[in-house]
Amino acid sequence: MTQAAPDDLLKVAEIACDAAVKAGAEFADALAERGRDLSVSVEKNAIASTDARLRASISVRTFVAGGTGWWSASTTSEEAAREAGLRAAELAQAAESDPDFVSLVTPAPYPRVEGLYDEKLASLGAPDVASWITQNIDSALGVAADAVVSGEADAHWREYALANSLGVQAAQRTTYASVYTQVVLRRDGDVGSFYEWDSARKLTDFAPADLGAKTAGEAARYLGSRTIKTATMPVVLGPLASRAIFLGLCAAASAEDVQRKRSFLVAKKDEAIASEHVTLVDDPLVPGGLWSSRFDGDGFPHRRVTLVERGRLRTYLHSNYTAKKSGEANTGHATRVGIAPTNIRPALGQRTAAEIIGEVEDGIYVVLGHPSPDTASGQISALVDAGFRIEKGELTYPLKSTMVAGHALEWLRNVDAVSSDYREEPGLILPTVRIRSVRVASGD
Amino acid sequence: MPVGGVLLDGSSNMDRDAIKQQLERVRDAAIQRKVDFAEVRCASVAHSALVLQDGRADRLGAGKRAGMGVRVLSKGAWGFASTESLGESDWLASLEDAIGMATVSATRLDEPVILPDIPGVVDDVRTSFEIDPTSVSLDRKLAAVRGYEEASGRSARESVANLMTGYNDAHQIEIACNTRGALVSSETVRTLVWHAITAQNGTIRQRAREVRAGQAGFEIVEQTPAKELSVKAAERAVSLLSAPPAPAGKLPAVFHPSIAGLLVHEALGHNTEADAVLAGQSILDGRLGTKIAAECITVVDDSNIPGSWGSYQYDSEGTPGCRRVLVDKGTLKGFLHSLETAGKMGVEPTGSARADGFAHRPIVRMSNTMILPGQSSLEDLIADIDLGILLRAGQWGYVWCEKGQYTCHAGEGVMIRNGQLAEQVRNVSVSGLVLETLANALDVSRDFELKMPGNCGKDGQGMPVNGGGPYVKVREIVVGGQA
Repeated sequence: MTQAAPDDLLKVAEIACDAAVKAGAEFADALAERGRDLSVSVEKNAIASTDARLRASISVRTFVAGGTGWWSASTTSEEAAREAGLRAAELAQAAESDPDFVSLVTPAPYPRVEGLYDEKLASLGAPDVASWITQNIDSALGVAADAVVSGEADAHWREYALANSLGVQAAQRTTYASVYTQVVLRRDGDVGSFYEWDSARKLTDFAPADLGAKTAGEAARYLGSRTIKTATMPVVLGPLASRAIFLGLCAAASAEDVQRKRSFLVAKKDEAIASEHVTLVDDPLVPGGLWSSRFDGDGFPHRRVTLVERGRLRTYLHSNYTAKKSGEANTGHATRVGIAPTNIRPALGQRTAAEIIGEVEDGIYVVLGHPSPDTASGQISALVDAGFRIEKGELTYPLKSTMVAGHALEWLRNVDAVSSDYREEPGLILPTVRIRSVRVASGD
Repeated sequence: MPVGGVLLDGSSNMDRDAIKQQLERVRDAAIQRKVDFAEVRCASVAHSALVLQDGRADRLGAGKRAGMGVRVLSKGAWGFASTESLGESDWLASLEDAIGMATVSATRLDEPVILPDIPGVVDDVRTSFEIDPTSVSLDRKLAAVRGYEEASGRSARESVANLMTGYNDAHQIEIACNTRGALVSSETVRTLVWHAITAQNGTIRQRAREVRAGQAGFEIVEQTPAKELSVKAAERAVSLLSAPPAPAGKLPAVFHPSIAGLLVHEALGHNTEADAVLAGQSILDGRLGTKIAAECITVVDDSNIPGSWGSYQYDSEGTPGCRRVLVDKGTLKGFLHSLETAGKMGVEPTGSARADGFAHRPIVRMSNTMILPGQSSLEDLIADIDLGILLRAGQWGYVWCEKGQYTCHAGEGVMIRNGQLAEQVRNVSVSGLVLETLANALDVSRDFELKMPGNCGKDGQGMPVNGGGPYVKVREIVVGGQA
């Protein structure tokens, strides 16, 4: 695999910006990128297809009196960059003005973030990627001979460069490996299933070999699922489910949504929005983190931000535009199309997940699900994709057709424990979280 | 900005005939390499978008994307490669890549893939539209979008917290060429308009969104009055401000056609995709010809509905699309098929292999999926329900195919009390098991809508689909409410 230096991408981005300014744009920025994806997909314990994709693109944003024009194309040729700059400038001139726009970001030093690119991973071939998933088929079958395994293994490399008309120049290379495995067990007319994954930016953080065995073992636990009585009870969110509520909180903390008055966190800055057990840090600088990078989508230097401190909302997530509009500090959370968190790292508590579950007399444990609130209303109404009944501190049987509901702020204020142990994915901390009182609907 | 009938790579324009000839040369190179089958596809899309927010159209965008994907079947195994280049040498390199990928697939093969021996079709098709979006000035587009916003604002008045209105159009060309002789060029124009409102009363906020979309030109905007789009959303958002939360637990339910559309797509449709069946992922595996639903349920997937968002004339393998009866009066009649799954099951392909652009291989997808209407009225359906819920304004859903467990989200509910529609309740998700819900269907209405255009995700590919049906009455469903 050839590895051209991002310098040539930087040149393409600068050509696009120059073309935009020449065409009348007051400000312009451009992102040029390319990459390669290798994917091996598995269906019913065999490889269904092996795919290779080459990617290239340029996206240009331009501004005239705050009105924005953007243009994207699937090529990084210099001629395409010039056309993209010109077209984007034409669109910005046609757009209506936005007096809240001040300017783009100016050059500033970027932090170092280690471990985002792994030359070994970038140079892997399809047979290497295939071995990750075929090992998992074998390890699943080793645990359950009747396992039906599906999934996908992927290896990506990407390099991109961002430039703007104020002199910002930023470039980065990344790699990414992942394996996703699902196991289905059909026994005596019943179905047990589960999925698991592993992902990393470098091979030393990547250990997918036993994923199949682990997934098959978990799938067997979901045979014999039952409904329960509709009631209000404690709900323990496992590491993967707790991420949904925290990501939902981050989505509502988008300053764009707050400024546009479509978030349930409007006017909540510096207020208590959660119990004192909840502290959330967003850290884009974690070495090897899945969401780590040196700069955001505006080209602003990344930094670590405390979003919630002992239940109190400390800041909204800002882009260059929203920060300048509000006069608040830019937190560096711009994407090319909006605002998003990076690596969310909740502060850990004092007791283990087992201890937290052990204290519940009558409740449920959510393993998989998407209990994310509606960003505007804060309402939650979600299916428990996979979970267990908790009785007298023990996980007793798997659940089916069971739902959880409430309001995000009510849930967050009712958090009465965050575990000391956690699932770690590169950059992320995924603890177990208990909510003392949640409306649970089910079929009995 | 969007262009019609031309494939562009940013540096040079290539006309369609030149592209076809280049595709055929790559196809011929594949034949020379003695692969079992090869399919070479070139696809391009030119799109434009505008967003009007809080009175300002301050974000205008457009772009274009083009490239080639080649899929080969070699020694019974699939390999795929794609490039965003339109250069012939890059295409030939991708062919070699795809052959190499197939070699990797062959290392862990269940059984060799054998495609049905169906001769390829040669055709050029283009969806019809009345007003080419590229011929419509920005001012005219803005005026239409602004009209929606202003009507919403007049309706919601002091309750308005935020208004967003958007317009998108896309002009897509896909040319598929394969070693069975197929050479099909499909040109499609899709246009979409949407409005979202956040309404506010004190600290309570409620949001509603409406979309109209079709395989159509700008006429879809001109044919959609504000009362069917932005005013409808505004009225719902404002009324939800004073609505109580929905109840929690198992209740008799009536689904509005938009929820019926979600249900039939998520709960049943994905399970009828033959790739899921063959992968051991579908609850419908082994049930062909058996009763899987109540007598009142007939389900059809039809890619030939003129103007519908999910329609197409040929799939990405060059097979003609058609109307497929999936469930007839409760009996499972068939699955949705690609060439591969049809070959494995020994049936005719249904033209259901669709690819999201050139960078993905075709997989089995739905098109316009619907429950067919019956004879009853909505009043008939609710008449004998003492306590239940009417679920309206379908928004999203998903299914765990292997378990048949699904969820759908309704933008609002209306309680049914003593056979009458009663108070409105807030948006809520519901859940059930596909086969239980379909078996528990009690009746369907004669009223029918096919108005759930969306972008369905599967295996990392998005695809335009539509869903609909009549009002559907079910014995009970789990309602994930707060009360």
